[in-house]
Amino acid sequence: MRTRNAPTAAVLALGIGLLATACGGDDTDDAGGEGGVSGEVTMWTYPAIADEPTHRAFWDDTIAAFNEEYPDVDVTVEIFPWADRDQALTTAIAGNSAPDVVYLIPDQLPAYARNIEPIDDYLSEDEKADYRQNVVDSVSIDGQMMGAPILQSVLALVCNKQVFDAVGQTEYPETWDDLLTMAPAFQAAGYDMTAYRGDVANSLNLSFYPLLWQAGGDVFNDDGTEVAFNSDEGVRALEFVQQLVEDGYVDSAPLTTEPPLEQTRIAQNKVACIWDMEPQYLVDFWGAENVVVRPPLSDAEQIQYGTVGSLSMLRTSENKDAAGAWIDFVTAADRAAEYDTAGRFFSTKESVGTLYDGDPILGELEQYAGLTTVGPLNAHAREVMGVLAPEIQAVLVGDKDPRQALDDAAAAANALLG
Amino acid sequence: MTVSGIAVASRRSLRRREARVGLLFVLPVLLFFLAFRFGPALAGGVLAFTDYTIGAETSWTGLDNLRRMVDDPLFWRALRTTLVYSVLAVPLSILAALGMALLVRRSFRGVRLFRSIFFLPVVTSLVLAGIVFTWIFSQGGPWSSLLGAVGLPDRSWLSDTALVVPALVIVAVWTRFGFGMLILLARLQDIPRELEEAALTDGAGAWHRFRYIVLPELRPALFFLAVIETTVSFQVFDTVYVMTGGGPAQSSYMLVFQLYDQAFRYFDFGYASAIGLALFVMTLVVALIQRLTLGRDR
Repeated sequence: MRTRNAPTAAVLALGIGLLATACGGDDTDDAGGEGGVSGEVTMWTYPAIADEPTHRAFWDDTIAAFNEEYPDVDVTVEIFPWADRDQALTTAIAGNSAPDVVYLIPDQLPAYARNIEPIDDYLSEDEKADYRQNVVDSVSIDGQMMGAPILQSVLALVCNKQVFDAVGQTEYPETWDDLLTMAPAFQAAGYDMTAYRGDVANSLNLSFYPLLWQAGGDVFNDDGTEVAFNSDEGVRALEFVQQLVEDGYVDSAPLTTEPPLEQTRIAQNKVACIWDMEPQYLVDFWGAENVVVRPPLSDAEQIQYGTVGSLSMLRTSENKDAAGAWIDFVTAADRAAEYDTAGRFFSTKESVGTLYDGDPILGELEQYAGLTTVGPLNAHAREVMGVLAPEIQAVLVGDKDPRQALDDAAAAANALLG
Repeated sequence: MTVSGIAVASRRSLRRREARVGLLFVLPVLLFFLAFRFGPALAGGVLAFTDYTIGAETSWTGLDNLRRMVDDPLFWRALRTTLVYSVLAVPLSILAALGMALLVRRSFRGVRLFRSIFFLPVVTSLVLAGIVFTWIFSQGGPWSSLLGAVGLPDRSWLSDTALVVPALVIVAVWTRFGFGMLILLARLQDIPRELEEAALTDGAGAWHRFRYIVLPELRPALFFLAVIETTVSFQVFDTVYVMTGGGPAQSSYMLVFQLYDQAFRYFDFGYASAIGLALFVMTLVVALIQRLTLGRDR
């Protein structure tokens, strides 16, 4: 569809959604007799396993194994692109054509909370008890699990050994101060010390929030009724980014736009260290021998972002028992571990232990899983990002000072929180 | 009844029959239009007065969304940016279209090829164009290199709060002038050559022939273009989405982008519909003003 007619298209989608919702049927469970379950289950997921044939084969095998236990359940797994997944899901929910099961991350859970069936009652006790507590917390809203975690991702500091060798630097940065101290040498040699991707389409969970947390600040106050990023810690974090930009330690192009990765200085081996990408995606550009995983940077605290991928059941599912059985089966420790390994993620279960012993990249990264947070679970988290990200940009292009920008963003954000 | 009376009645009957047949022919299109354009637009208008959010109870909120819009500084900022963009993009697109139409008006070898080439941007994907222009306007890209040759600084126009809208205007002119050129060219071909030849014989110069013969004849086409281009400008989205994301620092944040954000990032469909309603009213008012000025004689 040509989005040149975006308003008309949006209205069209809304109108169809309204009509379709009005015509929708009742939610009815369709469990088979004597404890058996039956029905059709459709799941939407995304390329968590980058290699499409491998990903498809995993689900085909899993469906076959599931059908040995549940022969009367017909499962369809549809793999969609990551891009615009919220728009697709939103439209499907509005049009009453939503899947039974969908892959979501904590960032999305509050927004869809009213559409999600809590999963607690559908998971076997053993599997539920096997989840690490921080993983359970990351998908829980009002004490109920809104999804069954299947994977965990971890971000840390990733440095390019080739760049360090070229500069003659043998130590890797551990703190913000280290980064700022080393930066002039890298700059003099024609390299960027790090990168800051400030395009508003990027999640602040990857770019600014890790710095905010490392400075000791947080996005919201304890009860989530007001934002807290305009604290002294927030200002310190933003001043740190401002200094990186103003002193020329980062490339200015990605501050406001999002060029494809292969066109960035990161991919061109011109950046020393970054904190917003998983190292496995840099292997193709840097070479595995040059990808050095280091602990998350620290300032007042040592903390980084990492997400938890979970399978959620939508309330509109007409086969909740079948969908629940499917989710329980897929997220069982062994099955999920197989998925995690194929996708180069980490396990959410205690019983699995480590998956990558001896792997210089993933094995190193796995050690830092305990230093990650999934970010704020607030229904307005994305709207807050929407008002904060442009204010951060305003600082980076020299239009505002950090305190003013954060206060302006806080005023706009608190208005949204009501 | 007289013979002439019978003839008149027969003609009326024939016209009614033709009208019914005509109506049958357009009926499918009419039904599709009502179902897929008018109906959803009406539904969108209704949603503007509700708090419609997916999966939640929808309630009538009266004018709340409109009041919120009036109090929303981001709405006014987006409106101002949209107006600035349109004030620049619409006249420049039409001027470029007029210039190109006059250039390719005459018959010469290869004129059809030139016309096709000039029309090419219209059928080019705006997303694709956006990606290419992102590179063109980047630091060290062709545009800044060109400006560097005349002593201007090498900077990314898309990263500059003052230059980002002009950059988007340039893209708009590039993508739209071909359509205008086609419309104006069709009208130019209809102007009798005798009129210009007579003026030439009377000693009128090129400017006077254009000012007093060509331009008045183009007036209906220019009015049409002004309305279309204004509507398209108010609805700009693709290039903003691809090239700037509304930035830097919301300096290219326009109304449709805000509508998109509210609907598909924050799921606030009621407020998004209110913005859509405001956009519709604004477009209608501007079109009426244009009708009263440009199109008043037709």
